[in-house]
Amino acid sequence: MKILVCIKQVGDSGDMNRFDAHALEEALLIKEQSSVEISKPVLVDVVTAGPPKAEKIIRRAFGMGADNGYHIVTEDFGYVSSLVTASRLSSVAKKPSYDLILAGIMSEDMMAGQTGPMLAGILGLPCATGVMKTILFSGDNAIKVEREMENGYRDCLVINLPSVLTIQAGINTPRYPCLSNMLTANQKQIQCLAAADLSPGETRTREVCLGMEEPGKKRAGRLLKGSLSDKAEQLFFLLREKDLI
Amino acid sequence: MKQILVIAEIFEGEIRQVTWELAAAALEIQAVFLKNQHSPGSQIPKIQIIVPSDNPKPLTEEILKETGIDVIGVLIPELTTYTSEIYITCLGKLMRKMNPSHILAAHTSQGRDFAPGLSLELDAASISGVNCIGSHENGLIYTRSVFENKKDMLIRPDPERLVVLTLIPGAFKPKIYKNENPGKVDIRSISFETAAERRIHSLKITKRSCENQALKGAKVVVAAGRGLEEKENLSLVFKFAKALSSSAVGASRPLVDMNWIGYEHQVGITGAIIAPEIYIACGISGSSQHIAGMENSKWVISINKNPSAPIFRYSDICIIEDVNEFIHAFLKLADTIDSGRSSYNKRRDKND
Repeated sequence: MKILVCIKQVGDSGDMNRFDAHALEEALLIKEQSSVEISKPVLVDVVTAGPPKAEKIIRRAFGMGADNGYHIVTEDFGYVSSLVTASRLSSVAKKPSYDLILAGIMSEDMMAGQTGPMLAGILGLPCATGVMKTILFSGDNAIKVEREMENGYRDCLVINLPSVLTIQAGINTPRYPCLSNMLTANQKQIQCLAAADLSPGETRTREVCLGMEEPGKKRAGRLLKGSLSDKAEQLFFLLREKDLI
Repeated sequence: MKQILVIAEIFEGEIRQVTWELAAAALEIQAVFLKNQHSPGSQIPKIQIIVPSDNPKPLTEEILKETGIDVIGVLIPELTTYTSEIYITCLGKLMRKMNPSHILAAHTSQGRDFAPGLSLELDAASISGVNCIGSHENGLIYTRSVFENKKDMLIRPDPERLVVLTLIPGAFKPKIYKNENPGKVDIRSISFETAAERRIHSLKITKRSCENQALKGAKVVVAAGRGLEEKENLSLVFKFAKALSSSAVGASRPLVDMNWIGYEHQVGITGAIIAPEIYIACGISGSSQHIAGMENSKWVISINKNPSAPIFRYSDICIIEDVNEFIHAFLKLADTIDSGRSSYNKRRDKND
């Protein structure tokens, strides 16, 4: 069985997107369980589409226990649509046939939550988003999942493999890279592909980003001033006025 | 004629509130075309509300009654429970025969699940998490939150192309619809099984037993967030709450995810949606999913050391301090004032 995890580098720190770390952890848990319970070897690969410095998160993934890493090296400036990213990822996702493709529910920076389901659409695979639990069936070529819905509801599904799942935080606790993996992580070969060399899946821009804005205030927001104890005192009397303390 | 198609959000056979918000947003989009109707070549798109269900008739009637907008019930016999593949396949099939310029769905666990796939099916542009619709001479512009709710991004889709939008629940206010020209209901049947092989099998929908009655009934909610930094500091928040009358402790999602505190304390779209008299956010940055759970509180006080934390935009009182230090200082002060008062009272008692 082969699992592909789509990961993204985010923020100034250049860390792995938090939700993708949960997706990678879930893949590694499936791998560990499968090797114990059904003695079925599972391979966990990761792929990212990002600038050269995104190599860092692939090394991190190796440290956590990923087997192979693919880096689609991009040279973008500014906005990259989810469809372009999904289309790039599909070039790796369709080559060796993966049974399961995991991604974070969204990226912390763009927060669109579209790359996973669009990748599924491009590959013609079924997809479930916001997954909070997975149980792999040994012989059936299917996976049981629970999708998180609003107000404490969960949607329990069985999905035929291959399929794409997007993973919600709270499903697991991502592990730290272990020392023995870290030692080999730097020697491991990352398979690089230039985004420019990929067959263009999508050429015509479907939407453009016009820029960023500071979001507007919803409430007046009176700022308490002074020292720490001044502020504590002000709050105390505000609450006392309301008869709460 | 072009159409603005609204996909009603149906859950367990009921119409969800967000449906009325989607209809209001569709009217906003239509209003932009009405404003520009005299410019050459402009066409005013017609709004239609799409209701996918295994029994759409009662739902379509309710929606027509409420909005007066044309409703298309899509009878899909296999749709006993929602799955993305049924929606994408059947709605794709239906909408390819129509001529939509805009498709609106809710940015919910359901809308987020099928909208990107539907946009691919229809070769459309796709914009998720829209919280504002604006216009510019070159057409419509959509705003969405990015960078953990700290910034707004403005997006303009290709005006020649169909666009699929998912809209944040609560961002658009439902209107009082004028029923001058009551619309009509049309029911169409589409079978999924003849269109595709089923690969997603729905088992059941479960409800997490959440004993959050305390949270829902409290006058004051003191809520803990990641700013506490250590699990041990949660006790501070409990002490803070204890010092206030009629209070309960809430928490942001990450704390529940990290198992610091039980799910029954979770405030947000996937936890409890509450509107207490006073909401005190302690070290909560304010993700959109958290805001949706508390934004209707009457009075919001936020304590956070990061001045750019989005929660401050939703607050009446803003305290820029390290939350742990602040609660320490507050409790110490409350103690001094109270013991001061009691010693004063004692003295007074003596003198009496």
